[in-house]
Amino acid sequence: MQAINDNELILFHYRDGLDVSRLAEIEATMSTSAALRERYQGLCALLSDVDTAPLEPTANFEQRLWARLDQRMTEDMAPPVRRHPSWLDQIRAFLGSVSPLRLAWAGGLAAVLLIALGAGFLAGRNSAPTRIAGAQSNPSTTASRMLDSYVAGHLRATEGLLLTAVNDDGGDLLKGNQELAENLVESNRLYAVAAARSGNSRLADFLRQLEPVLIEMANQSASVSVENREGLRDFLRDTDLLFQVRATESRISAESKRSL
Amino acid sequence: MNADDEHWIARARDGDAVAFRRLVEPHARPLYGLCARITRDAALAEDAVQEALFNAWRHLSSFDGRAVFKTWLHRIAVNAALEQLRRRGHREVTVDATEGEDGFLEAVAEDLPSPDRFAQGSEIQRRTESQLDRMSSIERTAFVMRHHEGHSLEEISATLSLNTNACKQAIFRAVRKLRGALEPLR
Repeated sequence: MQAINDNELILFHYRDGLDVSRLAEIEATMSTSAALRERYQGLCALLSDVDTAPLEPTANFEQRLWARLDQRMTEDMAPPVRRHPSWLDQIRAFLGSVSPLRLAWAGGLAAVLLIALGAGFLAGRNSAPTRIAGAQSNPSTTASRMLDSYVAGHLRATEGLLLTAVNDDGGDLLKGNQELAENLVESNRLYAVAAARSGNSRLADFLRQLEPVLIEMANQSASVSVENREGLRDFLRDTDLLFQVRATESRISAESKRSL
Repeated sequence: MNADDEHWIARARDGDAVAFRRLVEPHARPLYGLCARITRDAALAEDAVQEALFNAWRHLSSFDGRAVFKTWLHRIAVNAALEQLRRRGHREVTVDATEGEDGFLEAVAEDLPSPDRFAQGSEIQRRTESQLDRMSSIERTAFVMRHHEGHSLEEISATLSLNTNACKQAIFRAVRKLRGALEPLR
């Protein structure tokens, strides 16, 4: 049997993150190995040291909380569904702060890819055999559902990317995020084109507006400065982009379910 | 989601602030506990709860009912707590994370059972607090969500937008840093 390392012992303690067979193996070894039992007891003792009572706020917490919250809710005058400021303009402003060279490179690549996609699409249309008129004008429900499903997955991944960028204080996760962003740039373009072709201009516009942010994240170097990271966080916070992504993903998922 | 929640959510979505308060009031103290464990600061925790509830109010329309409302709210609170740490320019004490990749539990086991160790309970507690301060915010958040809140790795991964392996690593590193609480006592 493969040796049981500390990480597995921690996961065993929480009964999470290990497959059933590995859990059973560790359990069996625990009953026969005194050394493993000792290590596990050590872990339990260590963890029990942080099991403190629930943390309680200071007196009048609720009063302070609601006094400020009521005021903000009133000032905001925000019904829960509210119109967000035009973040297309804010993306433009954000792009203004990006290095022109990098922007030119990214824009050039985007243009080349879109032209290539367009040319391929036209070539495909011209060479394709004549189809039944009805089939051309009405995209199949199945295809539409598949697109919705893929786009929803794409938006979930994008949300993950943005959250990691926001939460990654030390830059440890930057490399993985950068690779993910590179992949998402490509798929984002394809989905935008597919959405436009299927007549979903709202989704196509949204995806196109995401692209500059993805490109920026794909091109972040490992030595990205704290200021740049803060700038991206400020941008994401100010534009509510994360919530826009979540809302769009939820809407697409809901529409997809309704169409089933 | 229970019927009460559904009722208050529907009304709050229509802009009813009283309904919103009825909906989130029972969650305020648990949210404070969560945020306090992440931020390690009472004032930041209060601000995080404030921001979390305000964000929940503004974005209630994006709650689609797929998750339990409490889970949705906790997810917002975790991110609000992390945001507070960043806004206040919280600087983390970094500890070499590659030190002693594995096998540290063996050393912990050597400390047990020891009557002295239990006699030193308050000292260990103090050192444990200090080690919690030394974790990165992601490590501490992942640990708090797993150990104190009982969230699954999958939920933690979704909240922190880490893949599952990164999430496991964050928890592993957190526990390994906790081990430092015992070191001076060995």
